[in-house]
Amino acid sequence: MFRFDPYSPAFDADPFPAYKTLRDEYPCFWSEAAGMWVYSRYADILTALNDWETYSSAKGNLVDELPGRAGATLGTTDPPRHDRLRALIQKALTMKALDHLVEPVRAVARGHLDALAGAKSFDFVRQFSSKITVDLLFHLFNLPGEDRQEVRDKAVLMVQTDPETRQKGPQHIAAYEWMTSYAAGLIAKRKADPGDDLLSNFIIAEIDGEKLADREVQMTVTTLLMAGIESLSGFMSVFGLNLADHPDARRALAADPARIPDAIEESLRYNTSAQRFRRCLTRDVEAHGQTMKAGDFVMLAYGSGNRDERQFPNPDVYDIARKPRGHLGFGGGVHACLGTSLARLACKISFEELLARYPDFARVEAELPWVPSSNFRSPMRLELAVA
Amino acid sequence: MPKVTYIEFDGTERPVELPAGWSLMQGATLNGVDGIEGECGGSCGCATCHVYVDEAFLDKLDPPSETEEEMLDCTSSPREANSRLSCQIKADPRIDGIIVRLPETQS
Repeated sequence: MFRFDPYSPAFDADPFPAYKTLRDEYPCFWSEAAGMWVYSRYADILTALNDWETYSSAKGNLVDELPGRAGATLGTTDPPRHDRLRALIQKALTMKALDHLVEPVRAVARGHLDALAGAKSFDFVRQFSSKITVDLLFHLFNLPGEDRQEVRDKAVLMVQTDPETRQKGPQHIAAYEWMTSYAAGLIAKRKADPGDDLLSNFIIAEIDGEKLADREVQMTVTTLLMAGIESLSGFMSVFGLNLADHPDARRALAADPARIPDAIEESLRYNTSAQRFRRCLTRDVEAHGQTMKAGDFVMLAYGSGNRDERQFPNPDVYDIARKPRGHLGFGGGVHACLGTSLARLACKISFEELLARYPDFARVEAELPWVPSSNFRSPMRLELAVA
Repeated sequence: MPKVTYIEFDGTERPVELPAGWSLMQGATLNGVDGIEGECGGSCGCATCHVYVDEAFLDKLDPPSETEEEMLDCTSSPREANSRLSCQIKADPRIDGIIVRLPETQS
């Protein structure tokens, strides 16, 4: 009897065999362990993403939703409210609008590489990817620097789930609550003394002449911190892992850094850190011979759609020349990741600097510790040996 | 399934059939029509799926949202009266046979 358990540590480490079984044998699967349906084929996921009226986000989008988030963030609101909220932030996050970050990100990456001078190995997650993303977010939101480590630690904890109890544990909820009060503190400061940063603009924004609700601002800022810090560094870490595991690809990028953006897209397809999100049905839906009821949740397994042989030939091959148009690494449709340009920019510059300094690196541990999470997939630690 | 014809900048015609509800951006990226990039994933957050819609179909489309209007000001090739973002156009029977021309550049 096939079981699909997104809480199992073995699944955190390697979800891809289970995904293949789902796609081939159970394309619309009721997972007892998750208490929801699972879509695993590319076409089904895309259909769901395109049809937000049926596949609603308003009941939460995390597989294990955090208390109070549903209905109060971009990712957990449906159009038209969603579109109005998103428009307030989106313009500050287009590729053109982010040009001013290129040099700061480069300087940050170089600084953290300088700190590694003389080391024979280093933890890519602790000493590189998370450092860069925290610095970047603190710069972008103009946050007080002394909170860096604590914000990062809480962001990592709040995305996790407990493999034993198959839900968020007290430590995860506590981290989330810490982050919401951190956000509330920031908001109060910005209200009293607005700057021209992205957060200030959002906090003082109005829709149809009305200020945003306090909870909406607080939950959205909390989510921006979580995604900006943990989702971005999670992806940078899997990208680093891919280049450690595929030396030919790494050498090609070191020789020709102009190919880094293509490799980023392939890693987003091959193993995005954003593996699974959920939607809630607003009506009954028939799919692959199953009837799903209004009110049921459906997990959209982006990580599986990205390995769907019906869409991507030889999907288990990591090929930086693939140019995987339409991959689900950032989700898709109205709720596609808000930070796509920021993520691409940060990865490109960081890896330009990394590969210039260390064209060769290798994994130290054959088995990696993975973040326990029903949503996300990235290594907790990635020790790399450098020449 | 509704049919869409993409005319690439060099004049090549690329007819594609796509499921109702899928966007014209998705129809292009999933069928190897390279003149459309769709960098933001279809959230109306960039302007790399810019197309010029054939005049005969322009009136059949819902007008652009405020966000699309703003993004259309950021296109890499010139914005014209029939410029639209193809992620905001969903295939449906009303626009079966729609023709869109692709600009010279998207980014």
